[in-house]
Amino acid sequence: MFGCLAPAAAQPVPRQLADLSLEELSNIEITSVSKRAERLADAPTSVFVITADDIRHAGATSLPEALRLAPALQVARVSAGGYAISVRGFNGSSANKLLVLIDGRSVYSPLFSGVFWDVQDLMLEDIERIEVISGPGGTLWGVNAVNGVINVITRSAADTQGTLLAAGAGNREAQLSVRHGARLGDTTDVRVYARRVTNPHTETAGGSAVDDAGQHNQAGFRLDRADSGTDKFSLHGDIYDGRHGQPRPGSIVTGAQFELGEITLSGANLVGNWEHRFDAGSSLAIQAYYDRTQRTVPPTFAETLDQVDLQLQHSLQPWPGHAFVWGGEVRYAMDRVTNSSFFAFLPADVDQTVASLFAQDEVTLRDDLRLSVGMRIEHNGYTGNEFLPNARLAWKLAPAQLLWAAASRTVRAPSRLDRDPFVPGQAPFLLAGGPDVRSETARVYELGYRGQPSADSSASVTLYRADYDRLHTQEVAPSRTFLFFDNGMEGRVSGAELWGAYQALPNWRLKAGLSRLWQDLRLKPGSNDAAAVRNAEGANPDLQWQLRSSLDLGHQTEFDAGVRHVSALSSPAVPAYTAVDLRLAWRPRQDLELSVSGQNLFDAGHGEFTSVTTRSELGRAVFVRLVSRY
Amino acid sequence: MRPRSWHAPWVWLLVAWLLGHAATAVAQVDATSAEYQIKAAFVCKFGAYVEWPSQAFDRSDSPLVIGVAGDNAVVEAMTRAAAQQAIDGRAIVVRRVQHGESLAGLHIVFITRSQAGWLADVLAAAKGLPLLTVTESEQTAGRDSMINFVVVADKVRFDVTPHLAELNQLKISARLLGVARKVMSRPS
Repeated sequence: MFGCLAPAAAQPVPRQLADLSLEELSNIEITSVSKRAERLADAPTSVFVITADDIRHAGATSLPEALRLAPALQVARVSAGGYAISVRGFNGSSANKLLVLIDGRSVYSPLFSGVFWDVQDLMLEDIERIEVISGPGGTLWGVNAVNGVINVITRSAADTQGTLLAAGAGNREAQLSVRHGARLGDTTDVRVYARRVTNPHTETAGGSAVDDAGQHNQAGFRLDRADSGTDKFSLHGDIYDGRHGQPRPGSIVTGAQFELGEITLSGANLVGNWEHRFDAGSSLAIQAYYDRTQRTVPPTFAETLDQVDLQLQHSLQPWPGHAFVWGGEVRYAMDRVTNSSFFAFLPADVDQTVASLFAQDEVTLRDDLRLSVGMRIEHNGYTGNEFLPNARLAWKLAPAQLLWAAASRTVRAPSRLDRDPFVPGQAPFLLAGGPDVRSETARVYELGYRGQPSADSSASVTLYRADYDRLHTQEVAPSRTFLFFDNGMEGRVSGAELWGAYQALPNWRLKAGLSRLWQDLRLKPGSNDAAAVRNAEGANPDLQWQLRSSLDLGHQTEFDAGVRHVSALSSPAVPAYTAVDLRLAWRPRQDLELSVSGQNLFDAGHGEFTSVTTRSELGRAVFVRLVSRY
Repeated sequence: MRPRSWHAPWVWLLVAWLLGHAATAVAQVDATSAEYQIKAAFVCKFGAYVEWPSQAFDRSDSPLVIGVAGDNAVVEAMTRAAAQQAIDGRAIVVRRVQHGESLAGLHIVFITRSQAGWLADVLAAAKGLPLLTVTESEQTAGRDSMINFVVVADKVRFDVTPHLAELNQLKISARLLGVARKVMSRPS
């Protein structure tokens, strides 16, 4: 799995293939792509790829909605812009075991080891694919990729030329996006985009308004340059601002009552990538980025976070039969928090440096048997050095069948939300942080099968068992006058993930997916967090499944349908639900598409996460979209 | 909650086994991939190294029509490649070919491996038409189509079967034969 650094869409292939002679075309090496395609098909890991076509057929209007297409992901919508997304358990609005990358930039917040989904926006039309890896990504992606990695890859500027206008409106939101791509010379392409999304507020099951109306404005660019087949360079950036209401009970719940204010958000990022391919088949990739985010959550806190990251990855074949990758990363974060009398992160201002080194060797033991062994050492300011080893075996039974097994040790290092939160903002404290919080650890064992039973179908099955230790708990101090955070829980989560696709007819494609979870967590001796096990287990459904159909009706129309089911959650109680989504699209010309999509069409409404008194009741949603290209 | 016994997960692994039996190679069709960009460039270029009978074109500036039997991504890659080239003053037009559609009006047809299920039907329908058949199939291995792509040592190469082209009144230039990996001779 070497996809973490390269933007992936722009391959080191000279753009002007038309100018090459037959002989020159015959000599181009397609190593990077065939290796990537091979790796995804032959990768000894549980990976699901959401393609650009999948996103379009599902009528998804935002990144979290697109993520529903991955059968292993738990995607629960709390309010209009609030989502709880996790994989293999441990969901919560601060779900912290999933690493999310957009074009190589981590969007995981070190403040609470989770993702603020309300600011992860991008033009869905310009997404090339989303790789969803369930299982530890430790060695290649580091701490915090405990249960999985989501890798969002956007299209190269060379593939998004011309002007695109996408406008849509529905009862739940309205969006307008414009993008223009142009060629800047023989080897360089660029695109710029701007996007605005607004949504009215939602309501609870009881009919009261949820304070989650909002708007989000974003613009950005991407530049790609590919010289001579050996070098490619990419630069991209985004800038955004937005605001939305703060639904009850608020972003930070302290037990005190206060007036919740409107949340304001802004940020900007700039990412640069350079990949150089050497003659002997080795390659070097370097990435650097700067990311700034600002968030104001009245009245509890405000945060400005600046991060600078530098990564290097070198892939080579030192001896026949060995594919070796090694690299390093350094990230410097400056976190500035403005505290309040209700809640404080102490110390308010923190500079954190995280540095890591990793190496992995993939050995071809036999034509059909590959073993990969890797280790990552990561150093952080809270816990010092963490070791993340992993081993994977891939056995290719037949040209289209792969059996694989993996064993890994991975870790979630403490975040500021583990160590530094204090309630109220000044002494005497009721919650006094977690001064001794250590990393959560997991040992994960996986077994998987991926195959193509026929030319028209594909299937993938993964079984896993993860043994966790030192999970986060909230303990009552012996004096019984305050609470603090600690690592008082352990346990096992095992499960199965299955998905498949079937081309029933040349114009009819079916996809299905299922994930099943068995959880068995328990307190460690000495812990008194009575609610920990119930809260950790109760937030995840035992079973979720989905079935999707894409039918090309002819006369330039498409009809897509999907059914998805999520079983009940117990803490807080959320009943099981089944939702039917439909989409009808008409494409009179290659450059014009009109579509109508509906979600939860046969259901008056359902909730997906947290308490019924505060969560949005998601009723029928309709969205009409027009996409026009010039 | 105690975990259930391991029987349930193992049953599912068994189900997956029952589904599986030998098949063609796994293909992740990712048309912005270099492989399909290169194949698309080749297919367009083939137009310059093949002579069609005069009745294949209405006028001297009628476009060269390429039919693609493949998914959206491959059709887009071909359309992009076609936009960058012209053959003898003719524009190149790309059309999507669905199962059962007539091949009339096409000059080249490219059948991708994702449509392997009806490859035989297309090749049968192409007999007697002034149509260049291009495939990327391990099974036909150059026996039934005129040009077959193979990926060798990470490079896109192709094998040519000229006698099949002659049966359809097409003439393949020696230059194209020179670049081919293998030229399949007529079975004697």
